[in-house]
Amino acid sequence: MTNLLWLQGGACSGNTMSFLNAEEPSACDLVTDFGINVLWHPSLGLELGENLKKLLNALTSGQMPLDIFVFEGTVVNAPNGTGEWNRFAGRPMKDWVTDLAKVAGYTVAIGDCATYGGIPATAPNPSESQGLQFLKRQQGGYLGTSYRSKAGLPVINIPGCPAHPDWITQIVVAVATGRGAELSLDEFQRPKTFFTSFTQTGCTRNMHFAYKVSATEYGQRKGCLFYDLGCRGPMTHSPCNRILWNRQSSKTRAGMPCMGCTEPEFPFFELAPGTVFKTQTLMGVPKDLPSGVDKAGYVKLTAAAKAASPAWAEEDIFVV
Amino acid sequence: MASENGATLKAIADMLADGLETQVEPFPETDKEFAEILLQLRQLDTKDLKAKLVISGFLDHPYGPDRQRCLECMYYLVHRKWCDLPELSVPVEPDWWCRLWRI
Ligand code: SF4
Ligand code: SF4
Ligand code: SF4
Repeated sequence: MTNLLWLQGGACSGNTMSFLNAEEPSACDLVTDFGINVLWHPSLGLELGENLKKLLNALTSGQMPLDIFVFEGTVVNAPNGTGEWNRFAGRPMKDWVTDLAKVAGYTVAIGDCATYGGIPATAPNPSESQGLQFLKRQQGGYLGTSYRSKAGLPVINIPGCPAHPDWITQIVVAVATGRGAELSLDEFQRPKTFFTSFTQTGCTRNMHFAYKVSATEYGQRKGCLFYDLGCRGPMTHSPCNRILWNRQSSKTRAGMPCMGCTEPEFPFFELAPGTVFKTQTLMGVPKDLPSGVDKAGYVKLTAAAKAASPAWAEEDIFVV
Repeated sequence: MASENGATLKAIADMLADGLETQVEPFPETDKEFAEILLQLRQLDTKDLKAKLVISGFLDHPYGPDRQRCLECMYYLVHRKWCDLPELSVPVEPDWWCRLWRI
């Protein structure tokens, strides 16, 4: 049996909802097929009050092993570093996080808030929120740069707002079946298996990206969402168009731009009016170009792409 | 349809060739400025071709040191010789330009 504990800090429960919708494997498969013992979870746990405290104390004292510690939401430090704004089982949640992270075999941050601070940590960050081991792009976060779980790994970050259900359960299974050491993490401690390719990989609008045909409205069936509607697919590491949502769709397939939620800067531009779902340009050229492309190259590419574009790229076609 | 477009294209070309003064400057550097021009265009009678050309700053030749032109603009549909920006929706030549140019 692998003991798993799931706690929530400054969170909206989006990642819990996502987790409960997992299919490959499902949350139930984790228990029945992979021997995962869910000790407690905010939406599933049965213990209350003293019983819950007893369970937590048994874990922090080492009386009961904690194999996987999953955290959703930010570590809330307000007011003034005390963490009193987010009390749980008789003390600030952040104190539980400190103690549980010390005894955990693996510590896993699920979703943007636990990973980088996400929306709660957006300036002016009134809840003094931090991610477990990052604050936006900066490593450190609540647990500090040098934190390692008992298995010797830093926090395993599974970002996303929310994280895709299968990213969550597949990583949990990898850890539970003793393959944790095989996990290779990128510079933001994200499992490379999911976060090496871009959201654009597998996007059905790729041909429109290549031929520079723009979608000008949400839900439009032709056109790429990069040029007008601020799609961050070419700059965002995620497999959203390879591991589909509900097995059949993704934002871009539905005609909705990727917002880059798996990257540390999310939400971009501090949510200033007019900056969301709008491609930011400077003299008509996008400020954020696809990773690895410079302005001069982009202009040349555009001229060639336009000149070579086939007539069908201009038709209103299903791209889903 | 094609001949209708041809007629409109010719009408625009003639107006530009006759020296129609259009509002080439200021180029909208920010999204806000871009949106303001779109707003002005939306308030026009859709048939008022001349006003459309003036507000969007049409030219019948490339513009600026980068030689910006419709051909590279993301709203330009090569095969239909058409500007697909909903607020404009007019036939255009690849070597023309307007200040709503974006790449
Ligand atoms: S819609 Fe977004 S992800 Fe898809 S091709 Fe365009 S820029 Fe890339
Ligand atoms: S498509 Fe982009 S915004 Fe949507 S979930 Fe994937 S990474 Fe996040
Ligand atoms: S927006 Fe202006 S530059 Fe672009 S295709 Fe239309 S007319 Fe040409």
